[in-house]
Amino acid sequence: MRVEYINPFVESAFNVLKEVLNTDIKRGELYLKSTSQPVLGVATIIGLAGDVEGRVLLDMSMETAMGIASEMNMEKLEKFDELGKATITELANMITGQAITKLHELGFKFDLTPPSMLTGNDMVISDSGVEALIVPIELSYGKLEINVAIKEKD
Amino acid sequence: MRAKMDYPNINTKNPEGKRPDGSSYKVLIVDDSMFVAKQISQILSSEGFEIIGTAKDGIEGLEKYKELHPNVDLVTMDITMPNMDGVTCLQKIIEFDPEAKIVMISALGKQDLVKQSLLSGAKNYIVKPLDRAKVLERISSVLKG
Repeated sequence: MRVEYINPFVESAFNVLKEVLNTDIKRGELYLKSTSQPVLGVATIIGLAGDVEGRVLLDMSMETAMGIASEMNMEKLEKFDELGKATITELANMITGQAITKLHELGFKFDLTPPSMLTGNDMVISDSGVEALIVPIELSYGKLEINVAIKEKD
Repeated sequence: MRAKMDYPNINTKNPEGKRPDGSSYKVLIVDDSMFVAKQISQILSSEGFEIIGTAKDGIEGLEKYKELHPNVDLVTMDITMPNMDGVTCLQKIIEFDPEAKIVMISALGKQDLVKQSLLSGAKNYIVKPLDRAKVLERISSVLKG
């Protein structure tokens, strides 16, 4: 996978997180995974289809999701209810929306699917035939991972 | 104790959501995201607007607009929604009421749909993430325009 694809996602994740959360954001080292990998607990998936195909996964633990959702709603959420889910889904929407705009400007054309959210313990994601690039982002609420798997269409 | 008038009074400015006669502007929020609907509702309510209704998709939005008409001063309309999207809902509301004031709420990356909405009669648009100043500025300018 070309690294050009992931930079817009990292940049827009930074911009959006900085805008919606009042917290320090640190970027961790980018790493590559080619086989099945565990999911942290709250995973929002957005599919890409067009010149390129793949998916973006916004992955975080339940604690991180609760912290982010509480901050974005300016109230402490007691459980990860419909409002919490809608908040994290919206965060994924904002990050991918901004990244796609950048990629369109670079000449890549593709569309997004609406986000789907999976929650649970001990989940594993497998992508066939494509490597996933992962950028961990450290927030005061915990870790969030931007996990992008894209391949160019043959 | 110092007299009250020694301090600048933050309440001297009229809230954006009120007409000069003190009555509130009435807003219908059409958005499938509970988070975004709540965010818009909080920003507007705090400034004196009245949220007269909310709808989760275009079909419900159109129904509510017809039901509440002529008591809706402004509609905030999400673009991507299930069942009926925001652009179609906008067009149907404008067909029913050419005077309708509709502000589109868009994620980045939907420039074509925003353009199409403005050509179809939307009065303005706001790109997410929403912030208080941006929302109030766009909505007030539409109501006053």
